[in-house]
Amino acid sequence: MNDLRRGLWAALPLTPGLLAFGLLYGVMARQVGLRPGEALAMSLIVHAGSAQFTVLGMWGAAGAAPMILTTLVINLRHLLMGASIAPYLRGLPARWKALLALWMSDESYALAIAAYEGGRGSHLYFLGANLGMYLMWAASGLLGAVLGAAVPDPARYGLDLVFPLAFLGLTTSFVKDRRGVAVALAAGGLALLGARWLPGKWYVLVAGLLGSVLGLLLEETPRP
Amino acid sequence: MNTLLVIAGMGLVTFFTRYAMIAALGRELPSVVRRWLRYVPAAVLAALVAPPALAPTGRLEWGARGWAALVGALVAWRTRSVWWTIVGGLAAFCLLRWLGL
Repeated sequence: MNDLRRGLWAALPLTPGLLAFGLLYGVMARQVGLRPGEALAMSLIVHAGSAQFTVLGMWGAAGAAPMILTTLVINLRHLLMGASIAPYLRGLPARWKALLALWMSDESYALAIAAYEGGRGSHLYFLGANLGMYLMWAASGLLGAVLGAAVPDPARYGLDLVFPLAFLGLTTSFVKDRRGVAVALAAGGLALLGARWLPGKWYVLVAGLLGSVLGLLLEETPRP
Repeated sequence: MNTLLVIAGMGLVTFFTRYAMIAALGRELPSVVRRWLRYVPAAVLAALVAPPALAPTGRLEWGARGWAALVGALVAWRTRSVWWTIVGGLAAFCLLRWLGL
């Protein structure tokens, strides 16, 4: 139980970002014609911020199939995250793996894998981080949908930086030698290129793949 | 259009992307795959940081967000704390905004 609490606690610093984007999501959902209950249902069942915002932007203009396909395409990056955390979950029963996968967000993945890397991770910690993100995302979205008033743009107060800063704080767990630095710098640079030329969040998948393969190649290069 | 059908479909494909690899890589893996996977977090996290910090609108631009990320990186390196990284980065951002940058 202690690990569950530690995981929940680890998600706490992300609250300002979650609240800002959750409120915005709720307000947008109302604007495109969703009822508060529907906006909440989407957060509870899908729980994927980028995909939810993108689908709201298509609402009324596209059919069900394009919206579901878009969600799939945006969330393909989770394949890579799932692959990298899979070795830590190997001994767990299938229902635990499914439960942990169900609410795995970019943020809770980052918190959990950094904890595993530091030897402090466990499935309960992962579940706690998932739950913290899940509940706050759903609650702030519902609040935005119920209030329905104009909420300020998170970018105005730099609240769009909360998640990137959290990722930055967690990156230190993985950048311990020159190879780690090279991987992070290469992936960051590739992500900047990808953000310019690729749709949605594909830059995470592409830069994550190429950057990690670079790490492996650097390892295999024989020293002169 | 059936709203609940769309939501259910979105939920299903999202679960697939999250569960597929966790389920597929559930057994002992070849050493090369294991070593490759060890580099994925550094690459994925860096990819999640760079664009919002250095290209918030898609194009590369150096501004208050870049400085905030730089301060955040220094704080992260010194403290290894998510709390302090967020506090330091946001404080730098607010200060620069206040100074009119």
